[in-house]
Amino acid sequence: MSHVNPGAYREAAARSLRDTPEVRGSVGSATRTFEASRTRAFAPIDGDRWRDWARDVKTHTLLNLDQYLEQAVERLEANGVHVHWAEKDVDALRVLDDIVERHGVRTAVKAKSMLSEELGVNEHLERLGVEPVETDLGEYIIQLLGEPPSHIVGPAIHKSLDECRALFHDHLGTPLDGTPERLAAAAREALRARFLGAELGISGGNFLAADTGTVALIENEGNIRLSTSIPNVHVAFVGIEKVVPTLEDVAGFLQITARSATGQPIGLFVSLIQGPRKADEVDGPEEVHVVLVDNGRTNALADEAAWEALRCVRCGACLNSCPVYRQTGGHAYGWTYSGPIGAILAPAMLGLERAMPLPHASSLCGACVDVCPVRIPIPDILLHWRERAVEAGLTPLGERAGSGMYASLAARPRAFEGAGAMLRHTPWRQTGRTLPVLGSWAQERDMPRPSAKSFRQLWKEGIE
Amino acid sequence: MSHPDRSGEKSEAGARILERIRSANVGRDAVPHPGDFGGWRAPDSPADVDPLTGFTTMFEATGGEVINAPDLASAGSWLEAFVEACKAESIAVGRGVPDEVVPTLERVDASGADLAVSSARAGIAETGSLVLDARDGRRTQLLAATHVVLLQVEDIHGSAREAFRDLSSDLPAAIGLHSGPSKSADIGQIMVKGVHGPGRLVAVVIGSAST
Amino acid sequence: MIKASLFATCLGDNFFAEACADTVRLLRHFGVEVDFPEGQTCCGQPAFNAGHRGDAERMARHTETVFAESEYVVLPSGSCASMMRAHYPGLLSGEETPGDSARVWELCQFLVHVLGVESIGSGLEGRTVAYHHGCHALRELGIEHEPVTLLRSAGASVLDWEADRECCGFGGLFSAKMPEVSASMADRKLETLPDVDVVTSSDGGCLLQLSGRAERRGGSPPFRHVASLLWQGASP
Repeated sequence: MSHVNPGAYREAAARSLRDTPEVRGSVGSATRTFEASRTRAFAPIDGDRWRDWARDVKTHTLLNLDQYLEQAVERLEANGVHVHWAEKDVDALRVLDDIVERHGVRTAVKAKSMLSEELGVNEHLERLGVEPVETDLGEYIIQLLGEPPSHIVGPAIHKSLDECRALFHDHLGTPLDGTPERLAAAAREALRARFLGAELGISGGNFLAADTGTVALIENEGNIRLSTSIPNVHVAFVGIEKVVPTLEDVAGFLQITARSATGQPIGLFVSLIQGPRKADEVDGPEEVHVVLVDNGRTNALADEAAWEALRCVRCGACLNSCPVYRQTGGHAYGWTYSGPIGAILAPAMLGLERAMPLPHASSLCGACVDVCPVRIPIPDILLHWRERAVEAGLTPLGERAGSGMYASLAARPRAFEGAGAMLRHTPWRQTGRTLPVLGSWAQERDMPRPSAKSFRQLWKEGIE
Repeated sequence: MSHPDRSGEKSEAGARILERIRSANVGRDAVPHPGDFGGWRAPDSPADVDPLTGFTTMFEATGGEVINAPDLASAGSWLEAFVEACKAESIAVGRGVPDEVVPTLERVDASGADLAVSSARAGIAETGSLVLDARDGRRTQLLAATHVVLLQVEDIHGSAREAFRDLSSDLPAAIGLHSGPSKSADIGQIMVKGVHGPGRLVAVVIGSAST
Repeated sequence: MIKASLFATCLGDNFFAEACADTVRLLRHFGVEVDFPEGQTCCGQPAFNAGHRGDAERMARHTETVFAESEYVVLPSGSCASMMRAHYPGLLSGEETPGDSARVWELCQFLVHVLGVESIGSGLEGRTVAYHHGCHALRELGIEHEPVTLLRSAGASVLDWEADRECCGFGGLFSAKMPEVSASMADRKLETLPDVDVVTSSDGGCLLQLSGRAERRGGSPPFRHVASLLWQGASP
């Protein structure tokens, strides 16, 4: 992904709230709808048991990841798949160079893949003279807009119907008051031709079953099935953490991911891909590549606290529940992965310095803990990164000094009481803005009024 | 198909990644695999139903349609009437669909067909899914706006896990699970059908459920 | 007779003194002998949550020393109670045995689960109330029905509030580090607030955040600490 810039989070968030307040409305409404759907979908099941199972399968897998990856590769190769290992984004992208050249690729149809965003696949294809065509309707919309996705599951949730109407009018000639059906039909027609004419289909992978070498993909539109069935070559970019032990495990993960993401029992289309077209098949790609991508994941795995974040199944439930994410959507985070999961992965995969201040883009409210299907202890990991940031000297000096001073005061009750007295006698409701650290409180809120007498004083005077 | 032999390079990168994984996990306590996924229901949920009823309920909930045909012949009659009602002029047919069931229509590739008919490998009651095998023809499963799928009632599994266990021993290049008409809510959060995959999906279940 | 030590908390001592006094009155009303170890200062949560672990440890050690002899520690604050209960054991492991965290209670929890209070009184008859559930109280201490049940038992109507369980945006230092997003979160709470006589919560930080933002926006219902409302409910 180009323009990785978590460092600008606070400014980007403030700008979004100030200049495009409608985004807060769209994102709020979409996330609340997803959240309500999830709640309904969990009502008929024993959600705790499902989540414990999913957590344990993923934990077990990560602890034995080398073995399961080796098993998966063996199966994939036996199925006729070309397997590539990519340590970094450039290594993953390089796989495309050879394919594009050999097959004379001019158009690549893309299924929605956050990993392909992370790697910057579209930009790379363009450098190779290939036109990347996003086929997921939400991704298609943001591709027309030239924007990155705003949410893991719904890339265009920050756009309203009217904005889509205007966009489709400009690009596809649909009427300005076109119904959603009309717009969708226009998109279908435009993209149908691209599916049929593309030499290459590119996807991600939701899960990779090690025992059968199966790449599993979930969706509702059918564009992933089309992207992986129609073109002659299919490339799947799969993060190394996507492996699960068996195809039977995939049966469970498909369901818990769908319920957590959109409140469905399962995605309307699931693709289970083993490899290239077999001798007794009439269609399907003749060449299939799976690129196993590290790109910082082994860094995350090595971290004593953050490794649990690799259990993530990319359902987006944490985003949907996060009151911080809801104020701005994903763009403010400046990285492919936003919301709570983005905040805990970024330091591990980008390095802490580059990821700051994302670990602070949270009030530690814990709403995400209630919904994560694989029980990632997100607030604990955020806290871990905050502590590491302090140790690494990445916290503003004023804050460190202030915290140290306050802790000293708090160890000396008389001094603490004295500070409280000062509080009551300085006009800080007027001057509060100038305080270090706490001054920014006054930017958005009126300063609180201290009690006329401290409780300590009331106690000394005697409480009736 | 020639391409530069990168296998040496590839496996070096792979070896490095695997080594980093191994050293990352040093000293961590083992966690066993917790066992089979059980699709556990909430304590107060209703008792399990037979696979056909389960499949029908789930499939219809997404807008899929279910037709019950006691045998192949009646499935054929239904299809004949359906083609008339849709005014379909061309049809794409999956390889596993018996000829006697297919109405007399111009057979074309699915990209130009008004209607496509496939034969399902299996069904899943738990998720309301049709299990479609690449051998039947993927284009036929995907490209027409209306998709009819024939499913034998005895091929309906109760759970996705059972279905996948069954599939494991004989996997084609690709399996598709189709659980309803194609949908998207990406345009202003409003649901529309048939964006890419078929907007109309009909499951013709052949045979009677055991009582 | 039950003896309990009051931990007023830094915010309580300085911004909610009367609510702390009402806490004392309430506890005494239900037969508790209350003491106030004067060496108390701050539980260390804002420092802890911002990653200043060393500073938090110092404050935790000091607090544990201050309350070393207490049978019960009662706090008019869900977040401070959860800091002591849920996080002190981890923060202070390796020290001499820290005080048993099971003796630490948020006020409403203490009233219901330790004192067995079912009905507060009738002093809130006819009042309409909106209750804000602080995140720590809700998710770390599992406090959900206790404050609402107590308020209702005193005759108050606690109205439905769509966003009542959503974070207010305080989050300790978060409110100062990310003030724009924090304020926007408070706005969400205020935008969805039903028309009530009073807004209340067991958390001082949340009350300062919401009332501070409401004042800035202009006009709002009164915000009062739940301890004061409950004392009003109990007052003969």
